[in-house]
Amino acid sequence: MPAVQVENLVKTYGDGTQAVKGISFKVDDGEFFGFLGPNGAGKSTTIKILTTLLRKTSGSADVAGHDIEHDAQIVRKLIGVQMQDTVIDEDLTGRENLMLQGHLQQMHGEELKERVNELLKIVDLGDAADKRSAYYSGGMKKRLDLASTLVHRPKILFLDEPTTGLDPQSRAQVWSYLKGLNQEGITIFITTQYLEEVDRLCRRLAILDHGEIVAQGTPSELKSEIGADRITLGFENGNRGDGTLKDKAKQVLSSLGGITEIVDSDEGIVIYAKNGGFLVPDIVRAFDTAGIKLASIGVSSPTLDDVFLKHTGRRIRPEEIDKSRASGMFGRRRR
Amino acid sequence: MSFASDTYYMFLRWMKKLVRNPILLFFSLFQPIIFLVLFTQLFSSFGLLLGGNYTLFATAGIVLQNAFSSAFQSGTAIVDDIKSGFLTKILATPASRSSILLGRLLSDAFRVFAQSLIILLLAYGLGVFPATGIFGYILILITVAFFGLAWSGISLALGLRTKSAETVFGIAGTLTFPLLFMSSALMKPDLMPKWMQTVSSYNPISFAVNAIRDLIMTGYVWSSFSQAYGVISLISVITLGATLYEFKKVVS
Ligand SMILES: Nc1ncnc2c1ncn2[C@@H]1O[C@H](COP(=O)(O)OP(=O)(O)OP(=O)(O)O)[C@@H](O)[C@H]1O
Ligand SMILES: [Mg+2]
Repeated sequence: MPAVQVENLVKTYGDGTQAVKGISFKVDDGEFFGFLGPNGAGKSTTIKILTTLLRKTSGSADVAGHDIEHDAQIVRKLIGVQMQDTVIDEDLTGRENLMLQGHLQQMHGEELKERVNELLKIVDLGDAADKRSAYYSGGMKKRLDLASTLVHRPKILFLDEPTTGLDPQSRAQVWSYLKGLNQEGITIFITTQYLEEVDRLCRRLAILDHGEIVAQGTPSELKSEIGADRITLGFENGNRGDGTLKDKAKQVLSSLGGITEIVDSDEGIVIYAKNGGFLVPDIVRAFDTAGIKLASIGVSSPTLDDVFLKHTGRRIRPEEIDKSRASGMFGRRRR
Repeated sequence: MSFASDTYYMFLRWMKKLVRNPILLFFSLFQPIIFLVLFTQLFSSFGLLLGGNYTLFATAGIVLQNAFSSAFQSGTAIVDDIKSGFLTKILATPASRSSILLGRLLSDAFRVFAQSLIILLLAYGLGVFPATGIFGYILILITVAFFGLAWSGISLALGLRTKSAETVFGIAGTLTFPLLFMSSALMKPDLMPKWMQTVSSYNPISFAVNAIRDLIMTGYVWSSFSQAYGVISLISVITLGATLYEFKKVVS
């Protein structure tokens, strides 16, 4: 039985925004599944639907073998959800936050107390457990939020950017908790901007763009699909090059053989070519003849970054995304 | 049963939040005290007009005025939960949906109950003791809590609909004084201009005030008592119905 099975899922918001346009995918039991996409792709919308927080427009979705609408109550017992914005009750202590979550999941007495103690230890909040969570640091709040999704031992964990906004050290810590949870058999469904971690931990991933799935597979499948090295070309005036310069450069490049793909990027132009190293002298010569000044040229083997760029035409930049955060589900609706 | 336990834990959460926000706690008690002390001092010579002790007369009005403004804080609390995403977090659990509202309403009722008790104790210090004795106290507190619930409904419905604390505050602030002054809370209607008397006689606050005032000054007057409960029940049905309607829209 797959942990998540989605068929032709569609979500059109009240204002006509088509956030999800008929996606289908499957997540196997016990999988660590990455759900990627640029801002506004529809990731959070999909997570809210799968976690019974938002009503779908059409299509079907089963979570843990149960229909999300018909069996919403059962689904809620089997899943844990961490929203994109950290949500804890800052008037309560860390322990009280977890206890409340447990109570609402029908856990009581000693069993709950022990579970909460155990979780506090796991997320390193043992010492701060009885402090008002308002006084926690950003990283501690995020860890508490994560712990609060785990109290009832969910089978499937939905995480919407659980590490965004954390410093590298806390980030690494969270990823290592997640890895541990997955090894215990919990299915993890995660959206994130951190592709290196996705590459290391996710068994499979899907890339969403403008509400549609544009690629899915294992990281190595997707990387080898590119089947080429990446050559990054930077131009003068701040590496970017103005539009006309780029157009001219692209013209020159398309006259060269051996290039599989030419993509615009913030840094200049990225091209993909088999055995890219051999192409460098040709490129330099051609640009020289055309009178285009190159500021830099670099060759590397493909990463998930390239996969993402190829399918969405954009690069993920976690730092900028942090700043442009919009607020939670209800906050956004009325704007 | 999970509905009862969910409600209890939601209630408990609100109580903890109240106790841990000393400023909120202070202001929710400060206002009634100010009213009791300042109003009764300011208007003490009314007592002569009314043929008696003004403090004795005004206690019922002040208790209800407090219940009225206290109830309006409910809506802003729910707005906070919506904005912070905490409501969403609760909705992701199997917790009973209605327990979320009920927990909040019970905490409102409890708060108003406690505040009213404090006012009554202070009033006792100023020489006010209900004609109906200890049992009268209990009846007054229950009536006020019920009255508070009816008004919490408006504030919750507004909060759920507008999702804006400013709007809830704005509307509450605008309503409070006209409703209070055009009622029998602080003044005998006989002494009001004719048109105000008319307004006052339809003002729901007047009904509740009259019932409680009778308990304090006269004794058990079943006509005022049953009228008050009729009016409060009617308002509750309307305002809590609106709350339920708006809540369903938010959670679906
Ligand atoms: N409540 C809403 N009403 C109308 N449109 C909405 C609502 N919530 C989201 N949208 C729109 O739906 C689209 C998908 O949004 P969603 O939040 O799912 O994207 P996302 O992939 O999570 O983006 P991000 O990486 O920024 O979190 C966007 O165009 C967004 O503006
Ligand atoms: Mg999102």
